Amino acid sequence: MSRYLTPQKISLLVLVSLYCDSVVPSSATIPILSFIVSHLIPAAPSNSHKHISNGSQDAVSSVRVFEDVSLSYASSIPGRTLLDLFLKKMWEITSFDALHSFFDSLGDLLVRTREEADRDAAGGIIAPPDRIFLSRISPLGTFVRRAQLEFTRLQFHDAVKLWFAFLKYRAPTAQWTRRVAGVAGSGIDINITDLGLQPGDGLFEVAYGNLDDTDEVEEMVSLDDIDRMLDFQVDRLQRLGCRLPDDMEEQLRNMVGPSGTVLRQSHLVKFFDAWRAGDYTSAFDNLHRYYDYAMQTRDKMHYQYALLHMAILQADFGCFSEAIAAINETIATARENQDMSCLNFSLSWLNHMSKAYPKQMKGAGYMGMIGSERDGLIFLKAKARETKMYSLLSSTLLNEAKLSLSNGESVPRAFEHTYQAAHLNIRENIISNYGGQMLLQSTIFSRLGVTHLSSVYCEILLHCYNINSPIEENVRAVCRCAYMAAQAGRYDEGLSMLESIEPDVHRTLKLHQYIVSYTGIIKVKRALRRADLVACSHLLSQLRSGAALDPEISFLLSQCRIAHLTLSGRFSDAFNLIEDVGSELKDEGADLYQRISMLVAKATLFAKVGRPEKGFSVALRAASTAYRARLMPCLWEAVGCVANVLNAVGESRAAGRLLDAVIPQALESSDMALCATLYSFQADAYMGMAGEEDESTSTGLRQRAAKVSKAELYIDSARESFKRTEDIQGECEMLAKKALIAKLRGDDKLAEDWAENYLRTRDAAGERDDSADGAEGWERGMGRRNGEGEG
Amino acid sequence: MGTLSESDTAQLKAQLQDAVTSCTDRCLYQSAKWAAELLNSLPSSDLTSGSDTDVDSPMSDSVPPQTPMRPLPKDRIEAQLEAREMHKFLLAKTYFDCREYDRCAAVFIPGTLPKSSTNLSSPQSTKGKPPAKGKAKVATPTKTKSTMDSISGLSQKAIFLALYAKYIAGEKRKDEESEMILGPQDGGVTMNKELNGISTILEDWFSNLASSGRQGQGWLEYMYGIVLAKGKNENLAKQWFIRSVHLYPYNWGAWQELSSILGTAEELSLITSKLPQNLMTFVFHVYTSQELYQSTDQVHTELSQIQDIFPSSAFLKTQRALLFHHTKDFDEAESIFSGLLQSDPHRIDSLDNYSNILYVMGLRPKLAFLAQLATATDKFRPETCCVVGNYYSLKSEHEKAVMYFRRALTLDRNFLSAWTLMGHEFVEMKNTHAAIESYRRAVDVNRKDYRAWYGLGQTYEVLEMHSYALFYHQRAASLRPYDPKLWMAVGQCFGKVGKYANGIRAYKRALVAGSYYDAGAGSSFGSQEGVSGLGGGVLDPEVLYQIALLYERLNDLQECAAYMELTIAQEEGPEYEEYNPMPGEITGVGVTPTTSKARMWLARWEFMRGMYQRSMELANELCQDGVEVEDAKALVRDIRARIEREKDEGARAAVEAVERRFGRKT
Repeated sequence: MSRYLTPQKISLLVLVSLYCDSVVPSSATIPILSFIVSHLIPAAPSNSHKHISNGSQDAVSSVRVFEDVSLSYASSIPGRTLLDLFLKKMWEITSFDALHSFFDSLGDLLVRTREEADRDAAGGIIAPPDRIFLSRISPLGTFVRRAQLEFTRLQFHDAVKLWFAFLKYRAPTAQWTRRVAGVAGSGIDINITDLGLQPGDGLFEVAYGNLDDTDEVEEMVSLDDIDRMLDFQVDRLQRLGCRLPDDMEEQLRNMVGPSGTVLRQSHLVKFFDAWRAGDYTSAFDNLHRYYDYAMQTRDKMHYQYALLHMAILQADFGCFSEAIAAINETIATARENQDMSCLNFSLSWLNHMSKAYPKQMKGAGYMGMIGSERDGLIFLKAKARETKMYSLLSSTLLNEAKLSLSNGESVPRAFEHTYQAAHLNIRENIISNYGGQMLLQSTIFSRLGVTHLSSVYCEILLHCYNINSPIEENVRAVCRCAYMAAQAGRYDEGLSMLESIEPDVHRTLKLHQYIVSYTGIIKVKRALRRADLVACSHLLSQLRSGAALDPEISFLLSQCRIAHLTLSGRFSDAFNLIEDVGSELKDEGADLYQRISMLVAKATLFAKVGRPEKGFSVALRAASTAYRARLMPCLWEAVGCVANVLNAVGESRAAGRLLDAVIPQALESSDMALCATLYSFQADAYMGMAGEEDESTSTGLRQRAAKVSKAELYIDSARESFKRTEDIQGECEMLAKKALIAKLRGDDKLAEDWAENYLRTRDAAGERDDSADGAEGWERGMGRRNGEGEG
Repeated sequence: MGTLSESDTAQLKAQLQDAVTSCTDRCLYQSAKWAAELLNSLPSSDLTSGSDTDVDSPMSDSVPPQTPMRPLPKDRIEAQLEAREMHKFLLAKTYFDCREYDRCAAVFIPGTLPKSSTNLSSPQSTKGKPPAKGKAKVATPTKTKSTMDSISGLSQKAIFLALYAKYIAGEKRKDEESEMILGPQDGGVTMNKELNGISTILEDWFSNLASSGRQGQGWLEYMYGIVLAKGKNENLAKQWFIRSVHLYPYNWGAWQELSSILGTAEELSLITSKLPQNLMTFVFHVYTSQELYQSTDQVHTELSQIQDIFPSSAFLKTQRALLFHHTKDFDEAESIFSGLLQSDPHRIDSLDNYSNILYVMGLRPKLAFLAQLATATDKFRPETCCVVGNYYSLKSEHEKAVMYFRRALTLDRNFLSAWTLMGHEFVEMKNTHAAIESYRRAVDVNRKDYRAWYGLGQTYEVLEMHSYALFYHQRAASLRPYDPKLWMAVGQCFGKVGKYANGIRAYKRALVAGSYYDAGAGSSFGSQEGVSGLGGGVLDPEVLYQIALLYERLNDLQECAAYMELTIAQEEGPEYEEYNPMPGEITGVGVTPTTSKARMWLARWEFMRGMYQRSMELANELCQDGVEVEDAKALVRDIRARIEREKDEGARAAVEAVERRFGRKT
């Protein structure tokens, strides 16, 4: 395999020389030049879609590409297209010697040096006035010079190989040569023609007998091409975190394989691929191999990067103590080598890790680098500004926003940081950070309870920036959307969203686990609502086995587990679990949202076991904290709990007022389960208020009737919401309440109807789930009804 | 010499066939190849006549060669021995084919070889009779005895194979021990360490030959010849080779070795009488003549005669082309090589010569094609590397050219033309020391390479070591007495070291040689050295000018002026009747820098002599030719001034007298 030169590059040189001869008309100049340049300089990443379709150009573009690009333009010589001239030049290389001469003559394309100019003047050579000279350091100039240099470096037999490859490459254009006067007739080699040889003659067979062989790849690609291709692969692997597609992998193997020269980058590609595939051992192996070969040529410069990769790899596979050791050494080495970018990146990564896996990091002996986390961020920000690493600055700003959110600090500050990051992203074209920014904005809005805006941001990410943002962020966005759909009761929609993720993504182990976990969580939620305990416990056990490291998922899972325990009546277990999770979160200094959620869960549990008043302080604390941090969904839930407590202690009016304030906002959030609960609490409140009315007076009676019907209205709303979330238990409860109200009114027939309705619903649910615990549900349903009756 | 009779042809075929098998059996692959090629270049005819009875000479006229044949049924003793050791022999041969040379040798001669040989270590002491080995025997330990005992029971074939394997093993080791080409340690003196042992065994064997009642077969004699030649014991080697070819004439290797020992045409004519008279001798004669640059008509005729017998022999065609090459008839040589290339595209032998021809003709595309072709066949042949190197040299990429020549030499250290060509490249690169070493090595490999001698001379001239250079130029000139270029170089050196008379003679020799080639008459060479004796055609004005300059140095201005006139005369060609008997045939060289210089000289000379009119003519001619116009004009002005002055001499004298009296104004 040649180092640099390929027939394709020769064709490019021919085009360049045409350009220099000024035969390219001005209308075609830009397309031709951009065609040449697109083959020479790797395209810069950008967000436009068009670019990608262009960027995926074949490394081995056939001569047809050149035909296409040059056929469409007339040349400045009348009656000739550019293709004619191109082919003329191509076929003027009539022998191996002519190829040498071609390369020798390339020097004429460049701007004359002073000596050359003197010599030309002495020799009386005057360049034609419209001739274009290439500057030595222009892209085309460097290309021409490099090509010349590489040709000089070729050994003779390599040059012969290039010549053969060129002949093969040129062969398809033979049909055109008839169009070009003067070229027609000269065969592949002028010597062959001079000697009067025909295919089949001994000499011809020796000289050009192997031209018909079809093994093309051999000389058509150069090491340089493969280098570029591998760089592209590495870039994608690293930036997007995807894996190599199967067909690409095979193509690569075909290209790299037979040459015998294995490029370092191919080990790097293998490393990334294995890493994504979750193949720890071979990832490790390939990483070492890559850096061993890198050592060969360069000095210790790359040692810190090797360590950095190692650290990330270790952390990814959960070996935190090794990861920390590696990253510490990275930092030390980077500091020693004055490699600021590496140093900053490692610090940022360390910061991120300690945020994401506080417990594991602590367990592995990580003590935090510089004081508090905030100090760390400020330090990084300053560093990034200093060294003009805008990408780092932008991501640090995002991290800061995240930190202030999770600490429950001011939301405007978080917005401010986000917008600063967004500004940086646009100004410095840091396309890889768009994803993170979109996700963060979506998070902020969901915490503010503006769910639809939150999902809109996810969709923007998915539709506009999916090309350049890491696959992981795309997947996160999809999962979030799916989860939100599930919250609104659209389970099937959510599940189908998750299913519609491209199968390629599943080839990356981490992402696969992530998606599977989310699918499981949505399913568990549905099972819980449907009171399908068997399915629920089954799913939970499955999910536990794939215990995701992601803190977000593990939190969602514990929530589900608590709900499951509550549903199956193991209240004390549920309580213990809540306590455990709560204290754990507190230790970790976890997100405020999660901690409040635990408080709310505790309050709810107290309510469930019939002692709502015990959860009063907890609920109140949750509500006040949530209010301070503007964590709306938590606030509503907590307020619901407080109202429930108030109901229980008979302060129905206060409860009603609280709920009146909260319900409209909660409705906007489209969390149906929450709405249903709030409605049912409101109904309870009105029932309580109805009980407080004076029975004796007529106005009292009228008031009572009005309150009862209002309660009934809320019950209906609650039932509707429960139904939409397929919450059988809730729906049944509401039906029972309806029946009770009817009975209270003395309308036995109606009560009977509601009771029948209740049974029907429950049976339908029982049939749907085909579950054995229908009876249990029934028992509990009855018990609840009885309890309600008492109340 | 007509064609052969059918029976003769059949016999020749049988003999060549036998030669191929015999050579293959002894692992002499090149010789076998040569014989097989020759066998296949006979005109195909039906093989009906199988009678082996007639063993008479195939050649009819000038030199009737006698039969080269030994009766095909071999020596009885040898046949018996060979039959007995058949299995061992097969074993040894397979080892040899697998390149396990030492193992091969050990099949028949176990143990190391004895380490002393009088013939090798002191060539002087044993001129003449090889079997006189009394002292040696005393000196050698008993080991020799035992080795001798062990080989006495072997057939000659087995002994040859064993010794040859030893020899090849030694060569291999020698190559392995040699340093990088032209590296600091590469003195070119590494010896084949097996030679001593082989020599001892062979000496003993030959001394016992007479008593044992066996007869030599030619092969062991050949082996001994090689060993002697390697030890620079050339006269003895020559004898043994001659003995070998007498015993078995179809071993081309022996002929080749013999040819390489011969240094001059005289030596060749000396040994011709000692050679057997057969077809092979003919081939040898032609080949050696070619190697010695004797491209006379006689050689051409001989070659034609042999070609009648072997019409399609690539070897003979190559010899023909090389003969043309020596006489600078490049077109002819090129067409022959081109034909060869087409008929046998895989043949790489002597393509380096072809590339030299293309180089001289400046046919770059063709040279590139040739290089490409050779590379396609085998890129690790020294010939291929030479072709490629020549191509790069023609492209003025001297570093690359050197790289390829170096590669050629790594492949074969004795590849002569690569040494010489590398020397040329070093000269181009102004690396005179490397150039000298390269040329020196070339000369060491083959003392007949005039280009290397000439190159050495040139390089020393560059270094301004003229008397040193003179020696080398003389060597070159003696190798090719008809090359004016070489004589010119000699003359130049003489001029530089102050031996003007010698220089003039050398230049005159060059004139003679030049006219010899121009006239194309092979027999016209004689002792005519005077100007008047020159044949038709244009003389080299450069040479004439140089002669004139040398005469000037000798203060023989008359003679000098005569040569200057002669130089100018060459512009017009031989229109001047007194110099050319056949007018109008060849046009002159036209105005060249040399002739202009001569004209200038003449003009000045006439001016000095006071022949202003003639001087004026010459100067005006110079102005017309547009050469050295400034000088010429100055001269013209000068002449005018002189003429004027002569006219006004009296008047001016008066004026000067006045000036002297009153002093200068201003």
